Amino acid sequence: MKELWKLKYSDIKKGLNSGEFTPIELAQSLVSRIEAEDSKIKAFLSWEKESILKAAAESTERRKSGNPLSEFDGIPIGVKDNICIENTITSCASKILENYRSPFHATAIEKLLAKGFVLIPRANMDEFAMGSSTENSAYQVTKNPFDTARIPGGSSGGSAAAVAASFVPVALGSDTGGSVRQPASLCGIYGLKPTYGTVSRYGLVAYASSLDQIGPLSKDIDGIIDVYSVISGKDQRDATSKNIPAFDPSKVKELPWKGLKIGKMKITSEIEPDIAKAYESLLAELESKGAQLVDLDFSLLSNSIPIYYIIATAECSSNLSRFDGIRFGQRKDPSGKLEDLYVTTRSEGFGKEVQRRILLGTFSLSAGYYDAYYGRAQKARVLIKKEYEGYFSKVDLILQPTSPTTAFKVGEKTSDPIQMYKADILTTSVNLAGVPAMSVPIGTDSKGLPIGLQITAPALHEDKIFGFAKMISDWASKVELPETIK
Amino acid sequence: MNLNEESLQKIAELSRLKIDPKDIQNFLTDFNKVLNYVDTITELNVSSVSDEDLYPNEGNSLRADKTVEGLNRSQIESFAPSFQNGYFVVPKVIET
Repeated sequence: MKELWKLKYSDIKKGLNSGEFTPIELAQSLVSRIEAEDSKIKAFLSWEKESILKAAAESTERRKSGNPLSEFDGIPIGVKDNICIENTITSCASKILENYRSPFHATAIEKLLAKGFVLIPRANMDEFAMGSSTENSAYQVTKNPFDTARIPGGSSGGSAAAVAASFVPVALGSDTGGSVRQPASLCGIYGLKPTYGTVSRYGLVAYASSLDQIGPLSKDIDGIIDVYSVISGKDQRDATSKNIPAFDPSKVKELPWKGLKIGKMKITSEIEPDIAKAYESLLAELESKGAQLVDLDFSLLSNSIPIYYIIATAECSSNLSRFDGIRFGQRKDPSGKLEDLYVTTRSEGFGKEVQRRILLGTFSLSAGYYDAYYGRAQKARVLIKKEYEGYFSKVDLILQPTSPTTAFKVGEKTSDPIQMYKADILTTSVNLAGVPAMSVPIGTDSKGLPIGLQITAPALHEDKIFGFAKMISDWASKVELPETIK
Repeated sequence: MNLNEESLQKIAELSRLKIDPKDIQNFLTDFNKVLNYVDTITELNVSSVSDEDLYPNEGNSLRADKTVEGLNRSQIESFAPSFQNGYFVVPKVIET
């Protein structure tokens, strides 16, 4: 069998459209790869070989008869376990939804199926998307394909590891405070958090509704552009969806180096030295090509994690109140009393991190603390939005490292929630402001672990991010994805 | 600020959660660490933010007043923990 799993997204698309190989040959190759290697990575909570091969066979027939649904027909895509697929378990890696089968498709899934993508659910994640390491899953810890003693990042760690391990060329994750970009960075791939409101949240199980956004992860930039162009656009079923058409990939153009204004940050002690070195050397190269570097003051953004945790947990406390044992998933009914049913179902169904966030959210929304915490955090969020507007009056793009560290060891930060929360120190402000950002691989540290660069643009300017990512694609090609997993 | 055990239990009650007595000290320690960390926002000066900034008038986002297909009874039954004759079953709530 041809080792088609080794191919990057753009080569897969080319090979399918030229007839070099068929969707079923491709799916068989990927399924074999998953069968052989996923016991070491644990990227998937479960996957159904028959349904993957059936969808690939149908795509093959469409292509043979000359009626493909689109140029993407037959491309496999991994799906995070919090995005609903009809008649498929969507557990959010939580015990409380252990056996919940969604009765409907998320809008993003409907759009992908209409174009012929072959779905490969259920990528592991931090429970209800709460975490930065994929150690908070109720079922298993996903490992980083570059070093299986280390975490892949979170909360979309299953999706990121599946792409890096060559189980799928592209995957869907969700990003509330960095949950696509941080694991993309730690796994040496691309990951996009789109402008808030450009991808429908219908069918994405809510964690923090004003911050959550579905985003793609891929081995190459073309995978990100294509999937974003398919899943974006107005959706009547999501009231926060922006009234804009789907992203037009023809808008992506390389930018002129001369006069390109790039906002940069001052390196702090929180950034690992190898990451700082890779970042500084990239900036020096960009300057030598004619880009103009502008120092930005990120002092307000350094407060973004506290602001994020107040807002996100308040929304989580409200959103997760629907899991009460009455209508969905698991029910624990020890005494036959309604109050006990609620309390026991939720206490046994939610993991510790989810419980901690519900409690924090309930606290900040409670009488006596609302003004000091939630009300103040909402005002601070407005300041962050204004801060970004100020930056983008001076620069075209902002560049920062995506993560302050490369992949850390399994268990290294689980005993200290603050250390874990700080993994998202460079990503959360983007969600608070609602602007788009993408992580791009730019090198490796002295241990061979990937380093990511975060590119942030003004709202609705994903085209600038993509154009710039293409311009620096030489750096991404230095990061070799692991063919064999240690 | 720091929460004491009594306040934490009250918040747990509001959240419909029960903290295992053997975990309470660890939970309280972790919770207070997080609370002290997010407490820094109480020092931020947000006086320049007006109500108009906070609730910008972006207009209502309303759908057309049209009937659309929803979930049918068998779909609901398939994911409900306990469902009979078109109703979700709950424990008895009225004493006789």
